[in-house]
Amino acid sequence: MSSSHSTRKIHLVGSRIRELRKGRRLTQMELSEKIGVAQSDLSRMEQGEYKVGLDTLFKILQVFDLKMGEFFGETEEPATEEARQVLDDFRSLSDEARKEVRDFLLFKKLQESQPEAPADSDSPLNPDEEKPLNQ
Amino acid sequence: MSERRKHLEFLRKTAKDALWAGDYDRALTLYEDGLALARTWKDRDLEDLFTCNRATTLIEMDRQDFDLSRLKEILLRNPSSYNGVLAAQVSANAHEARNEYAKARFYADMGLQKSRELGIAEGVERGLNQLGNLELHESQFESARALFHEALERLEDRGEGNSHRAALYSDNLGYCHIALDQVDQGVPLVCRAVELFEKLGAKQALDYPCLDLCFANVKLEKLPAAETWGLRALELGEQFRRTDVVKNSHYLLAEIYSELKREPDADVHYEALADFYPNFPMLKNYLQQISLMDVINLRA
Repeated sequence: MSSSHSTRKIHLVGSRIRELRKGRRLTQMELSEKIGVAQSDLSRMEQGEYKVGLDTLFKILQVFDLKMGEFFGETEEPATEEARQVLDDFRSLSDEARKEVRDFLLFKKLQESQPEAPADSDSPLNPDEEKPLNQ
Repeated sequence: MSERRKHLEFLRKTAKDALWAGDYDRALTLYEDGLALARTWKDRDLEDLFTCNRATTLIEMDRQDFDLSRLKEILLRNPSSYNGVLAAQVSANAHEARNEYAKARFYADMGLQKSRELGIAEGVERGLNQLGNLELHESQFESARALFHEALERLEDRGEGNSHRAALYSDNLGYCHIALDQVDQGVPLVCRAVELFEKLGAKQALDYPCLDLCFANVKLEKLPAAETWGLRALELGEQFRRTDVVKNSHYLLAEIYSELKREPDADVHYEALADFYPNFPMLKNYLQQISLMDVINLRA
């Protein structure tokens, strides 16, 4: 929530609005009329200079008929029930346990990216990868 | 001043105090009593005055069941008088409450101009504050800041620095600074507003200052303080039926709890916020992932 974070977020929203508007072949005038703001304000919004109320933000989403994730450029499908359950379980863990889960996920991803690993190896990691980087 | 006028002035003052304290029903009753008396006495000036005051009370109550054309008629009949200025400014408030911002600006400009012409100091300050609020709505924080600053300065120059309106303008000015990321300058102004409103017993007016201090403390990453102010803003918003305050409080509290990793508490507020937007059933899920903190204008 620092200032630098703030600038990035505002820019993100403005640039996404511009992309979505152009994607739907709407002029600034047409979109500004639909969401009930002045055209000059919409222009400022697209440049990341304009802050809006919650109602206006959700009106924009309605005009574009978007989900929030799509608005922010997240194109993945909505999470499945299984994924949500995994997320809930993860959130219920301690920080230490979360770290272990992340390490295990990293291991599984590495394992899947190396399908021809030796069958007799007990170690999840290549011994070379365990060496400190400065060696 | 005649005895009748004195009586009605007393009614007006009592009603105004009730309005600031948030006792809207009492304020409305008193203004309606005054209006009835003014009509009985066939005192047109007082009738106009009480008509404007009654409309102001209804706007505060988020009610639109008054005749807006009646205010315009008062303005037309008295273009160069205190009542004309008041009618223009209440018309501006009424249009703002109806989200008719161009009309609101038209009447606010007119009220300010007439006040300047007639030398009505209170009208000038009120007009500057009205225009500041309209600028805030359009996210024009710098021009709003200049308007609120001038309003406050004028009020203080007249020795009214400890009044309800000084607290109001101080909070508005403070919010501009906070929105412009000048939090260190904004917070003392909003704190001053809280102190004054508390001292004056203006409980209903504390909702925005509390919300603003919540917002400022989130920006400063002082989350426990932000939580305290957010909960207070939410309570006041619910008590005085201020939907915008309630929605923004839920949003800020959800963000605070999310940052504090208190997910169940965050979910309570995300869900409460989502209830206001039934067309967006996935709202909670998305807000759990994305912070809108930096693109939100609490006064839009």
